Amino acid sequence: MPSDSPKGRLIALEGAGGPALPDAGNRLVRSLLKPRQEGGVSQFDASGIFFELRKGEKNIPQPSPRTLLLLYAADLVFRLRWEIKPALEEGYLVVAAPYVDSAIAFGKAAGLSRRWLADLFDFAPKPHACYRLKEKRDIGIWKFKRSEGYLEFCCKTLLKSSPIWQPVELREKYLAYLEALEKRGGCETVSDRVLSR
Amino acid sequence: MSKAPDLKKQREQEQHLRHLLQGQESKRGFLIAFEGADGSGKTTQRRLFKKWLETDGHEVISVKWADSPLVKPLIRARKGARALSPQEHTLLYASDFRHQLECIILPALWAGKMVIADGYLFTGLARAGARDLRLNWILNCYEPLFWPDVAFYFDVSPETSGKRKASTLAPQFYDAGQDVTNIEDPYESYNHFLARMRQEYRALASIFQMITVDAEQSIYEQHRSIRQMFREATKREWAEWNMEAMLEWLDRQERSTEVQSAF
Repeated sequence: MPSDSPKGRLIALEGAGGPALPDAGNRLVRSLLKPRQEGGVSQFDASGIFFELRKGEKNIPQPSPRTLLLLYAADLVFRLRWEIKPALEEGYLVVAAPYVDSAIAFGKAAGLSRRWLADLFDFAPKPHACYRLKEKRDIGIWKFKRSEGYLEFCCKTLLKSSPIWQPVELREKYLAYLEALEKRGGCETVSDRVLSR
Repeated sequence: MSKAPDLKKQREQEQHLRHLLQGQESKRGFLIAFEGADGSGKTTQRRLFKKWLETDGHEVISVKWADSPLVKPLIRARKGARALSPQEHTLLYASDFRHQLECIILPALWAGKMVIADGYLFTGLARAGARDLRLNWILNCYEPLFWPDVAFYFDVSPETSGKRKASTLAPQFYDAGQDVTNIEDPYESYNHFLARMRQEYRALASIFQMITVDAEQSIYEQHRSIRQMFREATKREWAEWNMEAMLEWLDRQERSTEVQSAF
């Protein structure tokens, strides 16, 4: 149990799919709430870092996977400081969608070492439970959605920097990492019952 | 399915990259870091040193701390709003550093240019260390580390630095360390924070074999000794010091070129 969250519960929800993730997060909150308990979802880019990058100067070199992960970590520090920890202290149920494993999955997909990734995120408290939003793997052409999540943002950014970063391949590896995490018992799939709420 | 062919391919690629690195060692540029607190005079010395190198026939570029066109606007906005925690502060500076390293410093060194960094890796380590963050975590944020060939540390007392700084502008919130000292007066906080930073810099200078410059000396004396120390300095072999960072960067360059030439 996270030592600095004495009252509330922190749930990680990992996966891809842009707005699908916080949508599923809201359903997960509804399904896990105890009577008289309150809860909410902490989403990617609460700090606005990625929004600002998207809107910023276009003619500058694109960031590498490592830089994108450092920026995600900065955003997560912000989320923990201003959203997650205060809510946990108030006894809320917080679903962080995404949390740490989605970032690690992206880093692994981009070829970075497990050790570096784990050390980078060691400031983040361990969640009480971790879920995975399962997605269809057999997508021939993956289209970017207008409203992106972290993976979509990274794929789009990396593809601009070099053709070696193919979104379909990155996404495959990303999902495979989360699948393997589930097999190792590190998370479980969100059930259809929860998603239909 | 067996992963053996993948591993074999990876090993071959690594071998190929190591070979490329060795071939470039004699042609590549020199990275010189000027380190020290604000008001230590390192920017003045960096300018003089750049002129001197150019006069000597070198192609030189300068980079400044926290100056990446990608991350600088993010840092500036958040510093203005005083909304950064020490960890966020460190992560944003590390992002800025990585972006400059990969997009400006390494390409320039590979092309044989001299690069002078006005605030480099040790600036990040000292500032984060003075904010009481764990050194292992800070180092990890900057990994894979890329060591400069020569690092000059401009050692100056907090009093002298404070005076120099105050003669230009009032120290800003984060530069004065007010986010961690909780001292309301920026000048007082700056002196307090500077003493902490000096402690960090001195420890780093000793651990990482930086060349200490007595920044209380006159501008001319400092410049003369820097030139002398630079002449005596030797390159830090990439293969020995910077292999991981170089391989990561070079692998991307190589693969990009291959894919682009295939079309």
